[in-house]
Amino acid sequence: MNELTFYPLLSLLIAIPLGGAFLCVLSRRSSGLCRWLALLSSGAVLVLAGSLFRLPDQTGWLLREDYAWIDTLGARFTLGLDGVSLLMVLLTALLIVMAVLVSWRTISEKTALYFSLLLALEAGLMGVFLALDLFLFYICWEIMLIPAVILIVVWGEEGSLPAVFKFIFFTIGGSLLMLLSIISLYYLHGEQTGVFSFSLEALRLTKLSGSLELWIYLGFLLAFAVKIPLVPLHIWLPDTYCKAPTAITLLLSGVLAKTGIYGLYRFAFQLCPEAAAKSFAWLSIVALVTVFYAAWTAFGQSDIKRLLAYSSVSHLGFIVFGLSVSNRTAMEGSFLQMFSHGITMGAFFALTAMIEERIGDTRMERLGGLWGRAPLWSFFFLVVALSSLGLPGLNNFVGEILILAGAFQSLPWLGAVAVPSILLAALYILRLVRHVLWGVSPAGLIWTDVGRREIFILVPFLILMVWVGCWPQTFLDPLQQVAGLPFFEGAVALKGGVLP
Amino acid sequence: MTWTDFAGLVPVLILLGGAILILMAGAYRPHYRLFILAGISIALTACGVAVFSTSAVKEVSGIFRCGPYADFFMALWSLLGALTLGISFRYGEERKFAPGEYVALVLFSCVGMSFLSMASSLVGFFLGLEMISLNFYILTVFHRQSPEAPEAGMKYLLLGAVATGFLAFGIALIFAATGTLKLPEAMSGMVAGGQIVPLGLLAIAMFLVGVGFKLSLFPFHFWTPDVYQGAPAPVTGLLASGSKGAVWAAMVPLGAGLAGGLAEIVPLLKALALLTLATGVLCALVQDNIKRLLAFSSVSHMGYVLIAFLSGGLTGERAVIFYLVTYSIVVLGSFGVLACLSTPLGEPRALSDFKGLAYRSPFLAAALTIFLFSLAGIPLTAGFIGKFHIFYSAVRAGHTWMAIAGVIASLISMGYYLRLVFLVFQPRTDSPSPLAVCQPPGNIAVAFCSVLTLVIGIFPAPLLKFVAAILSP
Repeated sequence: MNELTFYPLLSLLIAIPLGGAFLCVLSRRSSGLCRWLALLSSGAVLVLAGSLFRLPDQTGWLLREDYAWIDTLGARFTLGLDGVSLLMVLLTALLIVMAVLVSWRTISEKTALYFSLLLALEAGLMGVFLALDLFLFYICWEIMLIPAVILIVVWGEEGSLPAVFKFIFFTIGGSLLMLLSIISLYYLHGEQTGVFSFSLEALRLTKLSGSLELWIYLGFLLAFAVKIPLVPLHIWLPDTYCKAPTAITLLLSGVLAKTGIYGLYRFAFQLCPEAAAKSFAWLSIVALVTVFYAAWTAFGQSDIKRLLAYSSVSHLGFIVFGLSVSNRTAMEGSFLQMFSHGITMGAFFALTAMIEERIGDTRMERLGGLWGRAPLWSFFFLVVALSSLGLPGLNNFVGEILILAGAFQSLPWLGAVAVPSILLAALYILRLVRHVLWGVSPAGLIWTDVGRREIFILVPFLILMVWVGCWPQTFLDPLQQVAGLPFFEGAVALKGGVLP
Repeated sequence: MTWTDFAGLVPVLILLGGAILILMAGAYRPHYRLFILAGISIALTACGVAVFSTSAVKEVSGIFRCGPYADFFMALWSLLGALTLGISFRYGEERKFAPGEYVALVLFSCVGMSFLSMASSLVGFFLGLEMISLNFYILTVFHRQSPEAPEAGMKYLLLGAVATGFLAFGIALIFAATGTLKLPEAMSGMVAGGQIVPLGLLAIAMFLVGVGFKLSLFPFHFWTPDVYQGAPAPVTGLLASGSKGAVWAAMVPLGAGLAGGLAEIVPLLKALALLTLATGVLCALVQDNIKRLLAFSSVSHMGYVLIAFLSGGLTGERAVIFYLVTYSIVVLGSFGVLACLSTPLGEPRALSDFKGLAYRSPFLAAALTIFLFSLAGIPLTAGFIGKFHIFYSAVRAGHTWMAIAGVIASLISMGYYLRLVFLVFQPRTDSPSPLAVCQPPGNIAVAFCSVLTLVIGIFPAPLLKFVAAILSP
């Protein structure tokens, strides 16, 4: 690809957090040192991820790495970075830094374990977004779950265990079915070609009969739909989001949910293009049901964390809708929206963490009239809220309009149905804003405005929101050539489908 | 039989001779630590000799078959013996184990496992199996002050004797039906015209009862939790890993027969596998005692191995053997953790004892977490690669439903493995834990097992190649 291929930059994206995690464990005697180590290593990853920002070549790849690993199985350590994974890697790196900063003060016990798990989670996420070998992908996919659940169990609210078990049961159930799909593909490909390999590019050439392809596709789809989550597989989500420490909720909503959408596009669609093309009609309907159901439920919530959890699901449903209307504009919009959603949700949960730090819980009735008391905090809150409901000039608007434009091109009716969802978002977000920023302050509410660390957290979010909102081209450019998209379109077109 | 025939048996002879020497030395000048160290060095020597042995495939006195396959298992069982002695170091000293007898019995049972793995006739099979069982009858009750030991010992002895009876009767019937005791001819001899001869069916049933008992397959698993609970932790570790693994090692060469005329009994074995899985997983879910939990977990793992065994072919055999290696190391390691956490007052019992372990004994907590992850089949541990191969062999053999059953069982098993992991990491706020405090470096044997579990999980290629090599010399 280019001269940088000689340096294992992609492996470094995984290795730096792991090294940081190890150093944190070593320096467990000093909490202060652990915090700084975590900030330094996650910061280094962010800088490295930022330096990878460039335009793709004809193949769509920015960088690729490939090392021998388990040769008896045909599994290789293959990493690849294209436009979509670039945005996801950037988002992960940014949100991990933010998560470290958000938990700077709130985590005072077992600091070393906390930050090393956080960094291990980052390594797993990077692996998921970069892996091009299905064996490697599956390993990273499962591994990222472990630090996340331990973080929730140890630092989450009282009684988090049932929530965590629900989370584990759903996610591992999904991923084990995906494992069966991977094994079947691996076996069939090996039988057909005599070459046993887990490489994405090799496996997608496997010839599959219609029904078999459908089963394999369903295995992938279930694993990813749980993670996103799509209704009705979302029932693990509200409890898990609420019981988790807010910095982890930030990551669950900002990044972990994206792994599902990313996997859907990168693996499920590519490996089973025909089944995927057939499923689009259903998938877009399920996505729209998710959008409306979650928005409706969000409207009835009285706890900010729970409201944001449902709002996040609703927006994620919209992204899946964009992927499943089989239109290139909508697809680009979805990729951009994955990034935007991460920024907005990250900022929202960072603000929620600040509420929790100040008053100890996140019920709306405990808040009110903050505009007069903490103008700076309220300003940030308002901007993030407006971004979330899709105000033009801020980040979410761009993705939404691209998705809608694409949807109207290929499926006008569904596009028309999707438009009111934006209205629903406005309803529940404005209700939240009215409760928190205006109205009467409850008695005894003590509120200090944002401090320096908090401004340092919020300003980057704000800059990115405006940047994506006003000059989205920066982030759309890497998406011009998305690796695998031509293949997918070709496979669909071959079977008589259309993907304009 | 000539002297050269013994060349392939050298590792077993080292174990045997060493055990006898230690037994005799124990009568004169017992010294616990010294004897344990001597036992470990004998076992490691045997392991080393077996690893570097280059013996060709050869029958010895008509009952054993030397060669790479036998060498591999001799090395594995010797290593397990050394590890068992390693985790008994403090445990046995606190309980005043008679040094000579204890070390000798552990080594003798390793000899039995080696004999069983290299059996090429039903005589060798029976000999090895009985050698293991007799040693474990004694080892189970080795801690005489333990209140649970007599019950465990009695159950194991009575049920084991009945199972032996069945096995002996089965072998006798096989001989009656076929006129040979050689394996696998004796098994294929029971088929005439594509059907099992009537006497053969009875013989196989008897044989299965005996083997099923040793492997604790459903419905012969009832002894497992009680014996595991009552026996000393290091002994349970060896019982759960080696004694079952050796039976599988002897069964693998017989698996080829299933594809032929014995296909009639495959549905029965499939049902056994599913029931074993279900029993193990569902019963483990409700256990509150750590050793009973591990007992039912071992029942479920035998179900997985049976799935791979039924898949047959080179893939199935490879999956069985790979799983045996990883499972043995992990199980022995987990019982090693239990031994390290035991105080002179007793072993860990309730799961809640483990709460907050991560902050008291970080090393043991990390090791236990690795073992539990491996048992649960979470990636980057050896258990994942093992389970991957089992599911792969099932899919390849067309037994997709067995693979799906295995997946469901894995999912349920997360419930109890991860519950324990979470307990380990939860801060302990209430009463102090009754477990012993173990500071780094803790126990070398446990550390070795946990590192090995990770290394095999991340770089499984060498072991996979090795397993493939011993299966097709």
